[in-house]
Amino acid sequence: MNANNHNTINIAITGVGGQGVLTLAEILAKAALAEQLNVRVGEIHGMAQRGGHVVCTVRIGTDAMGPIIDSGTADLLVGFEPVETLREIHLIKKNGCVLMSSHVQYPVAVSMGTTEYPTHESILQSIRGFTKRIIDFDAMDLAQNSGSSYALNMVMFGAIIGTGIVPISKESALRAIRESFPKKFEKINIQAAEAGFDRVKSCV
Amino acid sequence: MSEFHELLENKPGKKVLLLANEAIARGVLEAGVRVVALYPGTPSSEIGDNLTLMAPHIPNFYFEFSTNEKVALEVAGAAAVAGVRSMMVCKGPGLNVAADPFLTLAYVGVRAGMVIVVADDPSMWSSQNENDSRYYALMGNMPMMEPSDPIEAKSMLLDAFKFSEMFELPVLFRTTTRVNHTRAPIEFEEIPVLPHKVQFQKDPLRFVPIPSVARTRHPWLLSQIEKAREFSETSTLNSTEGQGELGIITSGVSYNYVKESLAQMGIHAEVLKLGITHPIPENKVTDFLRRHRRVITVEELEPFIETHARRLAQLNSIKVEILGKEQGYFSKVGEYSPRIVMEALCRLQNCNTPINWQDIDKRFHGISDIPPRPPLLCAGCPHRATYYAIRTATRGKAIYPSDIGCYTLSIAPPLETADILFDMGSSITTACGLSEVTDQDVVATIGDSTFFASGLPGIIDAVYNQHRMCLVVLDNRTTAMTGQQPHPGTGITGMQKEVPAIDIEKVCKGLGVNYVKTIHPFESIAGLVGEIREMVKWARDNHSPAVLISREPCALLTAADRRRQGIPLPKYYVESETCTACKRCLNRLSCPAMYVDPETEKAVIDDNLCNLCGTCVAVCPQGAIKREEK
Repeated sequence: MNANNHNTINIAITGVGGQGVLTLAEILAKAALAEQLNVRVGEIHGMAQRGGHVVCTVRIGTDAMGPIIDSGTADLLVGFEPVETLREIHLIKKNGCVLMSSHVQYPVAVSMGTTEYPTHESILQSIRGFTKRIIDFDAMDLAQNSGSSYALNMVMFGAIIGTGIVPISKESALRAIRESFPKKFEKINIQAAEAGFDRVKSCV
Repeated sequence: MSEFHELLENKPGKKVLLLANEAIARGVLEAGVRVVALYPGTPSSEIGDNLTLMAPHIPNFYFEFSTNEKVALEVAGAAAVAGVRSMMVCKGPGLNVAADPFLTLAYVGVRAGMVIVVADDPSMWSSQNENDSRYYALMGNMPMMEPSDPIEAKSMLLDAFKFSEMFELPVLFRTTTRVNHTRAPIEFEEIPVLPHKVQFQKDPLRFVPIPSVARTRHPWLLSQIEKAREFSETSTLNSTEGQGELGIITSGVSYNYVKESLAQMGIHAEVLKLGITHPIPENKVTDFLRRHRRVITVEELEPFIETHARRLAQLNSIKVEILGKEQGYFSKVGEYSPRIVMEALCRLQNCNTPINWQDIDKRFHGISDIPPRPPLLCAGCPHRATYYAIRTATRGKAIYPSDIGCYTLSIAPPLETADILFDMGSSITTACGLSEVTDQDVVATIGDSTFFASGLPGIIDAVYNQHRMCLVVLDNRTTAMTGQQPHPGTGITGMQKEVPAIDIEKVCKGLGVNYVKTIHPFESIAGLVGEIREMVKWARDNHSPAVLISREPCALLTAADRRRQGIPLPKYYVESETCTACKRCLNRLSCPAMYVDPETEKAVIDDNLCNLCGTCVAVCPQGAIKREEK
């Protein structure tokens, strides 16, 4: 890619409406701003959220202007769910990193029997057609162990920092979590982020 | 998520991460706006969501969630005529609702600054059309500004109020989804003190446009727009940057895509960025066209700037190639991205794109096994129960006019109870029309907020003209689709004041509907099916409209309440021994909280997603779905 875009890190976050994708994007961007970095977040609200698939973008760096991450330009693709990761795999840059939670949330079409959910191996195989850098782990399990399935997004937040791709320190990330949630959820959220961080740190 | 208190802080120089809609809400304070009126509409909704939380804490400030956009524009318009700064906010289709006052407001003008924010939705992320509201500025002769990002959404808003006062005209402030729903670091400026009440100065020969008055106002308007054009010529909001043989004219969010594309491809070009797109700076654009042999126009939706450029080139006999939508370099459909700009530039320059998108597309389309996951009614949504009952009672054979709200999602299988939709309130009126030309039963559905916004004239039409139609009001006690705003049926105002709620049942009876009942869908699904059968029969027998109000709070409200209270309620589960794997629950309800166990083929309820409505219990023929004992 051109030198002009070297100082912009593109992160695409994908999942199912209700999983906390938008919240993660906002906190990630707040942490970036706290590091004195320029940042843009692209969100889609409304109809797209009602249990449907959601994509959010976070762009960090001096050249980030618009909110959009085109196909083939994401440094990091964060997937909250396997099929949702696959749905946005076209976004990943050549040799970009995919961070995926393996916990399945079945689409209604699958429950109704009108279509099938692909096997995990077939999903991984398709992803490998775009990049070999895949970190695949059960983030829902880590969230529940931290105290709540609602902390799934914070597991993913810790995991993002754990990849080392994003220029945000772990301290800034944890501070952003403390400043963004009510005190009573702090312990669970911090624990979830730590769990995600540790899990990913060990594979990079 | 962003704390409203943060937006109220009078700390000039502070930098915070804000959504453009939050930046606009902050801009309202910094511009000293006294009155804001709006009806919520995505992608503009968060402007009102923040202002309603801020409003009670700002001295002399008034905010309201108006009944609809026409009402909002009239409320805010009157305030600006009286002499205080005001703002109205709507989504693209909302401006259509407000078109009537809009077109006259420019004739009478305003005494204090007024801004009308309209949020268009290219790609229709949450709208029924992608109309380009910029043409209203042309038709109404109202000045228009287009910010390109969240930073300009605030800075240009402050400019818009000054501009409005300079020419005594309201300013149309046109945004698009990718501006409204982008977050960026925003710097706070000082908050001025708001004026108290003003004395209304009468001037009927200006503000009452009877024909003799209007005839004097139209030439006045044209002369004001000419003055505004002169200002537009020298304004820094319309500026050029860069140098090169190639010229690019752009505005709004597309400006970012142009800049990113030029940087990535290493192309040198002169870019004319238009912040004021009506009146367009004609001399500046003409000079720009003269300087270049080829000029590309980059703008989403309609060729608005492109047409101006062609007009000016023709008027001034300039030999320039203008490349935009007319020759197919850009589409009139959907939102743009850097890729779209780069592909057009490469087509023009006969070069390869920096990324091989054709190859990525080919590989991606080769993946065939991605199951779709469209948006759908939430787990525990009361509409699911009501639509299940409507469909069961009428065996899917009635006509189901739908309306604007979450409930339009009932278009999807297996509910399939949305057959026709035009705009807000059209469920009732299309039902009137359909009942006259078919013998089929007609069961329309409308939400509570939409009922108040645009439903009442339709009810009056149905009563007075004796249309044989049934209406189910899906009263979930909120404006759910746009993010839980209050409406006249909720008893809370935009100022967070508790007031007597307007009762839908009483309204219908007051308008002359002779069959009005209220039921609670979660009480008994079988009972609900019976009620709908009875209503359909009554409408047919009496050749008159019948109304059933299905009242149950939005599942998101219920879930939030439950989380606040922190009391775990007994869960629903499928008793595996009793379940015969018939899948009736899954196939009839399509609830996102239910799935099939891949091994046993039996239904399973996901605890994390279930919102405890219990509708599935009534649907299971085996009685296999049960609730835990306390």
